[in-house]
Amino acid sequence: MTEAVAKTAYDILKGFQINWICLRDADGGKIFWQNSEDLSYPDVEHEARVPKNILKCRAVSREFNFSSKEQIEKFRLEQKVLFKGRCLEEWYFEFGFVMPESTNTWQSIMEAAPESQMMPASVLNGNIVIETKFFDDDLLITTSRVRLFYE
Amino acid sequence: MGLLSILRKLRPAPEKELRLLLLGLDNAGKTTILKSLASEDITHITPTAGFNIKSVITDGFKLNVWDIGGQRKIRPYWKNYFENTDVLIYVVDSADKKRLEETGIELYELLSDDKLQDVPVLVYANKQDLPESLTAAELAQTLGLPTIKDRAWQIQACTASEGIGVKEGMEWVCKSIKKK
Repeated sequence: MTEAVAKTAYDILKGFQINWICLRDADGGKIFWQNSEDLSYPDVEHEARVPKNILKCRAVSREFNFSSKEQIEKFRLEQKVLFKGRCLEEWYFEFGFVMPESTNTWQSIMEAAPESQMMPASVLNGNIVIETKFFDDDLLITTSRVRLFYE
Repeated sequence: MGLLSILRKLRPAPEKELRLLLLGLDNAGKTTILKSLASEDITHITPTAGFNIKSVITDGFKLNVWDIGGQRKIRPYWKNYFENTDVLIYVVDSADKKRLEETGIELYELLSDDKLQDVPVLVYANKQDLPESLTAAELAQTLGLPTIKDRAWQIQACTASEGIGVKEGMEWVCKSIKKK
């Protein structure tokens, strides 16, 4: 890596911040869980305590709000839903360009599995992690982990 | 209506991934339209200093709606988001008479860009609830929309803050994608 590239990578990492994460019912937009604390520490795993009836929703949306001081050319993310570490779902998204000094949101909406195929809350409880990795091309900017508890 | 039902209507289209691009001057109502598509609360919307994206997936088929901030200082970045756009949705504050010329200039700049060549354009004549607002027909004339010959276009009156007219516009979007 040349010195210039290394500096840019460092600046992007330093200037990137997740402001809040939220889980909603995709029908009607009711918020089940929102967090805006400690998100600047990438190693912290967040705990989302959500009502059990979230599993009855036809679709749930996951939303991220993030800011970047630097311009990013090839911004993308990889989102995985893990059950005991095994990947149930994955979502790759290419944003491309991110403006300098910008604040942005990305919301993904996915239909739930049919109720017959849905694991019960007692089995899922504490075993589901939503892992989202943000990249500039191949450079990992930050990782967000949210562990779900159904109450 | 909701984004999932829009996506279901579109399913027979051949592309695997669809991209709708929402542009317009600041305060036109782009984010309100985006949020009203998902029936979300629209009481705390602030100026967009970047983008808002909604991505919907069903049966491996994806719809991405991109709402890009409209403030003057960030408009030069719009061109970074043109590529692979299936439909351009241009939002106008129908009551902002002082900036009609400005919004027209921005619109025609978009229409003249190579990356948006042949891309159908839907113009939302938003804020029809305001007493000073132009009707959709008046706005179409003022913006010279009938002179557009190189692509499909449509104007749709709406009041996004009350969810009125947004659905009708999206129905045109669905039709124009299927035609392509």
